[in-house]
Amino acid sequence: MAVDTLTFTIITLVYLAAVILLGYLGYRKTKGSDDFLVAGRKINPVVLALSYGATFISTSAIVGFGGISAQLGMGLVWLTVLCIGVGVLTAFIVYGKKTRALGHKTGALTYPDLLGKCYNSRFIQKISAFIIVVSMPIYTAAILIGGARFIETTLSIPYDTALIGFAAIVALYVILGGLIAVMYTDALQGIIMFVGMTVLLVLTYVYLGGVGTANAALDALAPLVPENLAAAGMTGWASMPEFLSPIWLTMITTMVLGVGIGVIAQPQLAVRFMTVKDNRSIHRAVMIGGPFVLMMTGVAFTVGPLTNVWFIEQNGVLAVNAAGGNVDSVIPLYINSAMPDLFIIIFMLALLAAAMSTLSSLFHTMGTTIGYDLNPLVKEGIPSLKAIQLGTLAMIVVSTVVAYALPQNIIARATVIFMGLCAASFIPAFTHALYSAKPSVSAAKVSITAGALSWFLWTAFVHVKESSVLGLSDAIFGVPSVLPMPWGVVNPIIIALPISAAALLVMLAIQKQDRLQNAQP
Amino acid sequence: MFGISDPGIWIGYLLSFLLTAGCIAYGIINWKNGCNEGSEDGS
Repeated sequence: MAVDTLTFTIITLVYLAAVILLGYLGYRKTKGSDDFLVAGRKINPVVLALSYGATFISTSAIVGFGGISAQLGMGLVWLTVLCIGVGVLTAFIVYGKKTRALGHKTGALTYPDLLGKCYNSRFIQKISAFIIVVSMPIYTAAILIGGARFIETTLSIPYDTALIGFAAIVALYVILGGLIAVMYTDALQGIIMFVGMTVLLVLTYVYLGGVGTANAALDALAPLVPENLAAAGMTGWASMPEFLSPIWLTMITTMVLGVGIGVIAQPQLAVRFMTVKDNRSIHRAVMIGGPFVLMMTGVAFTVGPLTNVWFIEQNGVLAVNAAGGNVDSVIPLYINSAMPDLFIIIFMLALLAAAMSTLSSLFHTMGTTIGYDLNPLVKEGIPSLKAIQLGTLAMIVVSTVVAYALPQNIIARATVIFMGLCAASFIPAFTHALYSAKPSVSAAKVSITAGALSWFLWTAFVHVKESSVLGLSDAIFGVPSVLPMPWGVVNPIIIALPISAAALLVMLAIQKQDRLQNAQP
Repeated sequence: MFGISDPGIWIGYLLSFLLTAGCIAYGIINWKNGCNEGSEDGS
């Protein structure tokens, strides 16, 4: 590590002490299950906004997607557009206010519980919980990997030690302090992330001669686009890929739409709307959430491509080549190579904060899902704090084991997988639950099942990035994708979400027809 | 615009800034609305 170890140790210890103090505060305020599960429904709007943003934006967005934008260019700015337009404006105004109101009205304690109570169906609660418990450990493991990899690169700590130590610290305050501890620490971590990303943007443009000069230099690198990427449609780092080319399809369907739409139905985010007492808190949170998400994603997708200019000027190679071909290492390498010592520490903390805030929320969501929604011992909907804490511990262990099994370059892809499955399974049924006076349980069952199933089939048999790893298509049909290009690069969400929505609408139409026929004399 | 020649990119940046401004405006306009709505309608 380039920075002074003593300085780094002191600042990190201060940060960890602050996190533990906030975790302790959450522990002291947690008097019962309501506090542990929905933070007593009285969270401050600033804490809501920062917690939502810090949970939404993980190391995945900064390290994973920042690295991908270093490889594919600034086109990912369209993900920023969706993250603000859908992830903040739509999520808070269209979904957040209704979620909060129904959460209060039904007394729901978790996302599956909310769906189950809206539909008055245990099946809906269980199937939603099942999807969360199956898919969330992959995303959680990716977040763990991102944090551990940065600790390994920056501190020269062995990867295994970094991974386990990182999981253990977060586990401590999640298990003891519940959602209050999670959201308080999220807020602190959100502030650190905001500072870190702001300084990163400013210093990058200062180093590269200003906004116009740096962007023009990036534009001028277009002739250096590697042959394989150029053949797949890449035109440069400051320009969009060729329309409908494989890279365009991957960027738009997988990265932009997969994540940008997927954010709507993420259980760990939706549950946050149930933690505030009124809509005024949500209105005020929007004001903070928008600028926060702009700075997190916008900076990552701007600095990522610009690292190419810096590495070309300094080393004569492109960023991904400088990082040994691993896109997940581009941002950490750039920080360690280009930034002043003090900023390395600040950014190290920002990345740790990003990983910890997302991890803590995922640990909490998985724990409450298995300890409450899927717990057969829960009677009359009354949760057991001990069972939820044990469930949280179990899911932390599972996620850590999964982290060891996942391959390299997985951070961004695991994010897309999780968000795609959530979107395809939940968005239509969730929307129907929120906006229908008498939501149809059978329509929701069909929609969730059709969404999850079609997402899985497309992932396993068509979308090459995943199907080639899973190996099912190859084993059964002898090819990684059963459909010709360009279908192999079209993300499952583009297929599965419309199927899920269509299934819901068709079922509703059939039921309406039946009612009309039954009403006739 | 600002050294970026492809409209596909700078329009994306422009929209990001406009949406962020929209978030801020929404928060300011509704600063006092929705107090103590409890479990009433979420609109």
